[in-house]
Amino acid sequence: MTDDFVPAHPDQPGLDPAVDAGEHGDAILSLRDVSKVYQSGDSEVRAVSGATMAVEQEEFVSLLGPSGSGKTTLISMIGGLLSPTSGQILVGGTDVGALSSRELTRFRAERVGFVFQSANLVPFLTARENLLYVSTLQKRVSRKEAQKRADQLLSELGLADRAKNLPEQLSGGERQRVAIGRALMNDPDLILVDEPTAALDTQLGRQVVELLAREVKQRGKTGIMVTHDLRMVQYTDRVFEILDGHLTHVEQPSALQH
Amino acid sequence: MNLALTEMKRSKLKFGLLIGAVALLVFLVLFLTTLSTALVTSITGALNGLDGQVLVYSDAARDNLQASRLPPTVVAEVEKVPGVAAAGGVTLGTVSAELLDGSGDLQLVGSTAGEPGAPTGLVAGELPARKDEIAMDGSGYALGDEVTLSEVDRALTVVGLLKGSQFNASPTGYVVPAVYDEVVRAANPGVPFVPLNAVAVAVSPGADPAVVAQQITDDVPKVKGYVKGDAVSLIPGVESITQTFGILVGLTFVIGIVVIGFFFLILTVQKMRTFTLLRAIGASTGKLSAAVAVQIAVVVIAAGILAVLLTYGAVQGLSTGIPVTLSPVLVTGTVGAVLLFSLLAGLLSIRRISGIDPATAAGAR
Repeated sequence: MTDDFVPAHPDQPGLDPAVDAGEHGDAILSLRDVSKVYQSGDSEVRAVSGATMAVEQEEFVSLLGPSGSGKTTLISMIGGLLSPTSGQILVGGTDVGALSSRELTRFRAERVGFVFQSANLVPFLTARENLLYVSTLQKRVSRKEAQKRADQLLSELGLADRAKNLPEQLSGGERQRVAIGRALMNDPDLILVDEPTAALDTQLGRQVVELLAREVKQRGKTGIMVTHDLRMVQYTDRVFEILDGHLTHVEQPSALQH
Repeated sequence: MNLALTEMKRSKLKFGLLIGAVALLVFLVLFLTTLSTALVTSITGALNGLDGQVLVYSDAARDNLQASRLPPTVVAEVEKVPGVAAAGGVTLGTVSAELLDGSGDLQLVGSTAGEPGAPTGLVAGELPARKDEIAMDGSGYALGDEVTLSEVDRALTVVGLLKGSQFNASPTGYVVPAVYDEVVRAANPGVPFVPLNAVAVAVSPGADPAVVAQQITDDVPKVKGYVKGDAVSLIPGVESITQTFGILVGLTFVIGIVVIGFFFLILTVQKMRTFTLLRAIGASTGKLSAAVAVQIAVVVIAAGILAVLLTYGAVQGLSTGIPVTLSPVLVTGTVGAVLLFSLLAGLLSIRRISGIDPATAAGAR
């Protein structure tokens, strides 16, 4: 799989994300003029600038842009890993930027499921335990319930017979599937996926993204996938293009396929 | 599911080696402390175990029991001092004797059972009441054994066994004053009286031993009164032994704690990627810190058990000539202190964890 960003060249440029946001009034995720500025010595680095977007429930959208365009910063702010310098991020009515550090930790544990680049599993926990650990971060889930859910997820992801394996005993694709299971384990509102195919070959990459899209739809979740690979956007409902920290267009995936 | 214990279960070799290393450090602390305690007890036990709260020496003795010489009449003079409930003479000297393991030096103490100055460390039998009886501490005596005092060429039957009552780290025998007098007179036929080394004093109920000791110094000519604890610490060599071992034990303890702290800091640094991931998916700093604390506690407790077994084995195999025993109080105190300070040293790791930026899991920094 190529790592080079393939620029989109639709015949008709898509909508401005701010205009598009106005058409999704009942969105579960809503960003209003969100910016992130880093201090680097005496100068400022504007990683994300005035991002406005809206994503509805059961939508699986992609955030497409080249390396350094600000897509990981944007998804990190949405997931409560970073606080915006300005603007507002609403997830199901919760203003993420207004949460304290402790509240952000709880927000991530209960309302967000992350799938990071190159799987990122806990190396000394088995596939099943990687899922079960998520349930220990929530007070409301009983042990029995959690075990049942973990087994069900692993089974659905085709990993039932790999449940007792450590990450080092799994293939790249299996590890990524475990990470997807972990992201779904806490029954989150949002599933945020960062370059899920980075460490996988094309075929496996497609399978993983297809699986993600299916899980998001079936479970009625909202998913955002960061990618710089144009071939993966076909599995998403809409594509937000980002360049130099600016959300530029919202496209239909079909408009980007050539 | 417990993250800390699951990791330990999966990394048996790593944590096994860590437990082994910590166990050796705890063993060193325990062993040195045990040895130091045994050595000090074997030097001070006789004096420390004498019945009474105040001791009186000759003022020319320079705080040294063995250099003190007092006429027997001083006992009556001391008894008259306000605050003194009772007083008894104590004689002490090194004599030659036929012991179980052959001829050797015996510390012979003369005192009267039931009076101040009698030993309190009796663990079997009774204190001597007659001239052919002796109570022993050291050399592995049993009740009914005999000790022959070379100067008088007379065998005394062991009627009592004492513990923690040795003097000068030597076998020590307790006899009635008349036997001690007999030994001294046999070696010094023309001596007008057998001097006492000390007068032991029981203070009246409610009286302050320090005040009574000063009162005796003031009221009785040519004597000096000491609170017993002060007299014990003034025994030649005790202070230097205590200080030397104190430095050794203290240094080993501090190094051990620092090493344990570094061990866990290294483990934490090795796991930073995992900790960052866990912070990103919603694990709190407190939860991760608790996992480190649980691992420290398990390692130190397991190492403590191993160290106690090692120390017990070493104590059993020791042949020092002084009674060395492993004290439960010492074991509990040492392992407890190591655990407490190790947890404090674990703050290095916890500080590292609290500094984790979860955003780095996504590579957003």
